[in-house]
Amino acid sequence: MTDRLEMRGMTKKYGDFTANDKVSFSLAAGEVHAIVGENGAGKTTLMRMLYGMEQPTSGEIVLNGKPVVFRGPEDAIRNGIGMVHQHFMLFGEFSVTENIVIGYEPKQAGFFKRKDAEDKVRALSEQYRIPIHPQAKVANCSIGEQQRVEILKVLYQGADIIVLDEPTAVLTPLEVRDLLQTIRNLAESGKSVILITHKLQEVMEVADRITVLRGGKVTGTVSRTETNTDDLARLMVGRELQELAERVPLDKGPLLQVENLTVREKQTLLDQVSFTVHHGEIVGIAGVSGNGQSELLQAISGLRTAQEGTVRLGGNDVTNKSVATIRDAGLAHIPEDRYLWGAAKLSSVEENALMGYQRKPAYNRRGVVLREKFRQVVKGWVEQFAIKTGSRQLQELAGNLSGGNLQKLIVARELGQETPFLIAAEPTRGVDIGAMEYIHQALIEKRNQGDGILLVSSELSEILALSDRILVMYKGRIAGELSRLEATEEKISVIMAGGSIHGSNQRAI
Amino acid sequence: MAAIKELSKSLVQPFLAVVIGLLTGALVIAAVGESILGTYQEMWKGAFGSFYFFTSTLARATPIMLIALGLSLAFRAGVFNLGAEGQMVLGAVSAALVAIYLPAPGMIKIVAGIFAGMAVGGFWALLPGFMEARFRIPLLISTLLFNYIAVLFASYLVTEPFRDRSGSAALAQTVMLEKSAWLPKLFAGMSVHAGFLFAIVAALLLFWVLRFTPFGYEVKMLGQNSLFAQYGGINRIRVMLTGMFASGGLAGLAGTVEVMGAHYRFVDGALTVPGFAWTGLMAALLANSHPLGIIVTSILLAAFQTGAMGVERNTDVPLELASVIQAVLILFISAKFSYDWWKKRKAKGGESHGAL
Amino acid sequence: MELFDWSLLSSTIRMVTPILLAALGGALCARVGIFNVGLEGLVLVGAFSAIVGNHFTGNLFLAVLIAALVSIVFSLLFAYMTIRLRANEIVIGVAINFLALGLTTFALRAIFGVKGAFYDKDMAGLPTVEIPFIHDIPVIGGIISGHSPLVYFAFLVAILLYVFFYRTVTGFRVLAVGLNPVAARSLGLKVTGLQVLAIVMSGALCGIAGAQLSLGQVTMFTEGMTAGRGFIALVAMMMGQSHPLGILASSLLFGLMDALSIRLQGFSLPTQFTAMLPYVLTIAAMFFLKNKSQIGSDNQQSTR
Repeated sequence: MTDRLEMRGMTKKYGDFTANDKVSFSLAAGEVHAIVGENGAGKTTLMRMLYGMEQPTSGEIVLNGKPVVFRGPEDAIRNGIGMVHQHFMLFGEFSVTENIVIGYEPKQAGFFKRKDAEDKVRALSEQYRIPIHPQAKVANCSIGEQQRVEILKVLYQGADIIVLDEPTAVLTPLEVRDLLQTIRNLAESGKSVILITHKLQEVMEVADRITVLRGGKVTGTVSRTETNTDDLARLMVGRELQELAERVPLDKGPLLQVENLTVREKQTLLDQVSFTVHHGEIVGIAGVSGNGQSELLQAISGLRTAQEGTVRLGGNDVTNKSVATIRDAGLAHIPEDRYLWGAAKLSSVEENALMGYQRKPAYNRRGVVLREKFRQVVKGWVEQFAIKTGSRQLQELAGNLSGGNLQKLIVARELGQETPFLIAAEPTRGVDIGAMEYIHQALIEKRNQGDGILLVSSELSEILALSDRILVMYKGRIAGELSRLEATEEKISVIMAGGSIHGSNQRAI
Repeated sequence: MAAIKELSKSLVQPFLAVVIGLLTGALVIAAVGESILGTYQEMWKGAFGSFYFFTSTLARATPIMLIALGLSLAFRAGVFNLGAEGQMVLGAVSAALVAIYLPAPGMIKIVAGIFAGMAVGGFWALLPGFMEARFRIPLLISTLLFNYIAVLFASYLVTEPFRDRSGSAALAQTVMLEKSAWLPKLFAGMSVHAGFLFAIVAALLLFWVLRFTPFGYEVKMLGQNSLFAQYGGINRIRVMLTGMFASGGLAGLAGTVEVMGAHYRFVDGALTVPGFAWTGLMAALLANSHPLGIIVTSILLAAFQTGAMGVERNTDVPLELASVIQAVLILFISAKFSYDWWKKRKAKGGESHGAL
Repeated sequence: MELFDWSLLSSTIRMVTPILLAALGGALCARVGIFNVGLEGLVLVGAFSAIVGNHFTGNLFLAVLIAALVSIVFSLLFAYMTIRLRANEIVIGVAINFLALGLTTFALRAIFGVKGAFYDKDMAGLPTVEIPFIHDIPVIGGIISGHSPLVYFAFLVAILLYVFFYRTVTGFRVLAVGLNPVAARSLGLKVTGLQVLAIVMSGALCGIAGAQLSLGQVTMFTEGMTAGRGFIALVAMMMGQSHPLGILASSLLFGLMDALSIRLQGFSLPTQFTAMLPYVLTIAAMFFLKNKSQIGSDNQQSTR
């Protein structure tokens, strides 16, 4: 089998930081080659170089035996490389067909021949057994279908090498199964697939070979038949994972009581949701993103109006109260998107840390914020959480911090509120493994102090590791509840996809 | 110390813009066929050539500074208030009417006039703020349109019901304020009046509020990321409306001090023709909304204008030279934004190392 | 004088032209994701250049062409500042408006040696076109026929723009750039090129709008003669949701207001109130804007 693609000694440096260090990688025709690694291991950097979005500091790309240089995505596309990005590159207002043919539209005298385009898309869809609705508006398609549109787009563009960047992160378990089948189909019809992921089970199901990256270096390239998930995990992490702190059994009564909470916009986004979080308890909310989790958190924290239902926090009715009132009643909140909600990128670390403290009597005297006094507190957080702030320390702009360090700052800020209740939404999204362990420890410690935590995460492993109880959301409702003991990834997956399982404490749907 | 460092940093870019503005001005002067150096000499003389000219420059800088301070507060909160002109004019006409018709001693007239001018300017600004908060009507557009309405309404007031019909003058204007209600001049025979002190005090006060108080912090955060501010418990609408009210109030004060310290009556067009509001906008942008920087930029822009008057008196170069230089200034102040952009891009790059 | 009669509709069609052209120009920019506050200035520059062109060439076609070209130059400045230097488009738009006001006033003095307004009784305005057949139909002929060619041009542009957006490949890509620039770039579309193309076309339309303003009926230039029409065009653009036919409808509404405010001057109302009418009605119209979020919230983020 000759190699269709070879990347030799790929190195990419950003200033002092080496994102890829002499990474070598090869791909044969008809092969599925997975690249696995933790966040920050350099997977995406490698692919951005392959796709022409970044220029390597050194190293070369050899395509079908010839060295090539890609100045931009269009070069890569022209050479038969297609990328399905983790965040879809789609136009919601356009139809499926328009999204697939854009950039390479069938035309006559400058006029767009939409009919021809549709015929071609239909033919392509049948050829590769990838079902879609050519006329549907993409914004109305399910996430799974949007992903199929992306795959058809790169096929339409004539790709022989298809890069899939974390393709399963947004899919339901059922859709994952379909996708893995599609990947196999593609490989059988002679396409080569690069699968970037950190989910090892999927890799073991579909990949022919696996390359593991850690800290920008290759720690191993192995054939699927000669390895298992444990070996891969060891190659990925490079050390044994830290054990989480012992969880002390506690139950000191209800803290957060949500009853029949309903949020409607054009449609019902949150439908009669009821649950309780007790003191000394972590309640995890699992579910495919977009099933009402964001709306639930926003309604609880005062960022969105609920049309029905009540939220009680520590005995106070805080339904549809202002954010400030709810925070005063004992809520702290690690938001799901740190750049959208959690920080001001062009402000300093110190100013980002000050959010929520600026009117606290401890840091105010005669209408003036006691910045010096507060600075000492922030210094404490930076030390305690090992936050790397860069040369300007507390005056560094928040936007210059790495994702993991900014996340640690946000976690420190919210834990520092010392409230009885904490919302932790995707607390470790996009952070490296060290930061993740640290944040997990901190959450467990808070729980052991008798505080309540509502954890929302799209990573089932995180939910399973931290939660005392697990609620599964599906289409704006709580579709099932599992205790820590009975919960397994399989059971949760089934409920996440709208199915039901025997023996769980499942609620009526 | 940090404040001084920040101030000097925020002045580098305006300085470059001024240089480019002067170079463009030189091109324009050359196009008219005048001596560049000679023209700029006349400009300097017109602005700072004598104590009289210098104080005239300060007098002209007064309303510009007050308006710029108000706008800077709105800009910092992320609100693009383009309605300073209307807020100023309505404030001015209200102050004039109160000072003329309130039956009270002079001192009370002054205080009541100032109060009325600020309040009316503030409420006129509050209205588009409310429309944005409640009905999501873009403030940028509504404030602009409100200018036309305010200016026309004020014009109506002094052409019809409150017109001074005593004199022979064809001008639409109110009667004159009685002398006891005049704001005192700072130097006898010079045009700079007490309003200039108000502007300086306002700048210092605003600097203090923005830098040291919780409200100042909240304004800044709201301007930088309004979702972050809301998430943190800042009441977006309250801060925005407070900012708009203060912004309009300062614009109203600008109009008020012109009426009570310079014209002693409201004259239709006397505030709009010199373009105080737009010059104020430029002063705020030039100073990157920094209150202390605004003191400098307002005087600078006022100097261009009084200087251009000197140029017009003594050369064939038209007065509008100043407008051209100012517009180029503001165009190139945007280079600052490209610097921001570069920083943002760097920030983004930083993120990708961590997260990918 | 009657408040409403058929000639009101005729003058509506005439008044609508600059607003319609500028709004279509604004829509082109909006469609590539750029909010062009500089329409006012671009139109003003066009109005002035048209007079200058007419004065020196004596040829109306060249005058309109010069107006378009000069406005294109200004729009290129806008494009360079906003796209290349990534400057805040609102600040640049405001600056362009200023520069236009300053330069036209300055040039009015420098070229014609007058202040305030330039009027030359010997200068010919744009001719009127009498459409055969239609001109002879009673009532309708009076409304539709007998306008300057630019009036018909404006309506034609609205239709052509519709075809461009929804039938041609380039138009399709222009829409794509505005909807999701990141995705467009990842596909290898020439995002910057398409944006510049849209801004340049916008400049040309604004220049022609200006020519209609200064040569269409009065044949004179006065300082700041756009009097906020560029901003009204922005509102018309938002109300029409940047859709050429929607803009056609909303512009007609504003044209009617403009015509009405002039008509009202014949009544015994204070002139200030009649002059206020278009602005008041524009504000009232904004209460019914559908996609306010598009502009409002973006501004919130991009003002500093």
